[in-house]
Amino acid sequence: MKADILKRAGIFVIFVLAQAIVLGRIHLFHYVTPLLYVYFVLSFERNYPKWAILLWSFAMGLAVDIFANTPGLAAASLTLIGALQPYYLELFVPRDSAENMKPNIQTLGPSKYSTYIVPLTLLYCIVFYTLEFFNFYNWMQWLFCVVGSTAITLVLIYTFEIFKSRQ
Amino acid sequence: MKNLLEFLRNHFHWALFVLLEVLSAVLLFQYNNYQNSVWFTSANWASGKVYEGTSWVESFFSLSKVNEDLTLRNFYLERQVAQLRRLYGEATAPEASAQEQQELEKLAQYKLIPAKVVTNELHLSNNLLTIDKGAKDGVEVGMGVACGKGVVGVVFLTSDHYSVVIPVLNMKSSRISCAIRNRGYFGVLRWDGRDAGIAYVEDIPRHARFKKGEWVETNGYSTIFPPGVLVGQIKEVYNSRDGLSYRLQVRLSTDFGNLRDVVVISDKSIAERMRIMQAARDSLKLNVNE
Repeated sequence: MKADILKRAGIFVIFVLAQAIVLGRIHLFHYVTPLLYVYFVLSFERNYPKWAILLWSFAMGLAVDIFANTPGLAAASLTLIGALQPYYLELFVPRDSAENMKPNIQTLGPSKYSTYIVPLTLLYCIVFYTLEFFNFYNWMQWLFCVVGSTAITLVLIYTFEIFKSRQ
Repeated sequence: MKNLLEFLRNHFHWALFVLLEVLSAVLLFQYNNYQNSVWFTSANWASGKVYEGTSWVESFFSLSKVNEDLTLRNFYLERQVAQLRRLYGEATAPEASAQEQQELEKLAQYKLIPAKVVTNELHLSNNLLTIDKGAKDGVEVGMGVACGKGVVGVVFLTSDHYSVVIPVLNMKSSRISCAIRNRGYFGVLRWDGRDAGIAYVEDIPRHARFKKGEWVETNGYSTIFPPGVLVGQIKEVYNSRDGLSYRLQVRLSTDFGNLRDVVVISDKSIAERMRIMQAARDSLKLNVNE
């Protein structure tokens, strides 16, 4: 348990720093920013304590917010994803899989993994940008942000997954 | 009790979820000005609508008062506009025409008494006008009155501070001697009592040569005006009733409908000439009587 927490804390720091130093400063076409830290929440294994997922998600969101000067924005969105993740993952888990199965391309298969990861990432982007814009006056811009950020985040996640599965 | 604890343990994470979301929302609205402002404006939307409706209804009750105020205000502003327009007109008028200046300069060798027209009329056949300078300002009966555009008339009566002038537009009494510019043929300016812009020069001899459009000015033969004060432009040429002379229709250069600033021409030499003329007449009378 202690080892798990330490390992997770290490990954946590890496994701936060990656977002704060590199990814958070990318604004493709002025709007599209990769929100890779959602991957941190999406990769919690099966039957991980739900309250722990929530706390990790909130902490991750808050850390990102602190670096991006948007207190509460990513925290609120990411906590929502953290609450949904265990229930949504349960829908795709194969019958004979381990109790603490990690969701990735190898365990779920590419198509199931995609149906697991794409809606959650999209939902995260929708909630995140809705809270950021806080109105639908510029709905074209909002749509562009949501779609663009989802796409670039998914590209990064797939790159990670394929890189990991090759090893 | 055991079931309740079980329930709480199973659903504890939902409470945690709500708590964390509330915390996020507090952070979101506390520290982000934009979201904060939008939140409060949308929260106030309902109350704003209600107030808008009530004020719309209330506004009808105050309309008569508003109307009254506006009428008053309108009156005040209109008066101000009129005042400013008059000031503006006075300020720009002298620069308006160099020609008028030139005409006045021509008279500069005489003593000029500037005056303002205080009453004026056009609609009678024997019009009179009053100016605000009188005997105390040096105005005497028989002096000529002109404005920047041309001849106006002759002083008829003076009081201490006001004078009555017989303008050209007086059928019965106005007889101003004038001549065609650069030709020298002279006649008498009279008015027929109709159009305030038109007068007639009578007694131009039949052998005179001139063209339509030439200018008529005072000739200086009269004891009233110095030579060269503008009278008007020849428009038409008629024969006189007896057929012995021409009758010229002249468009007066002075606009009597818009007469404000005039000068009274006071020339000592005129008085001297008048005196010697009188003496000559008297002596002729004497000779005839003899």
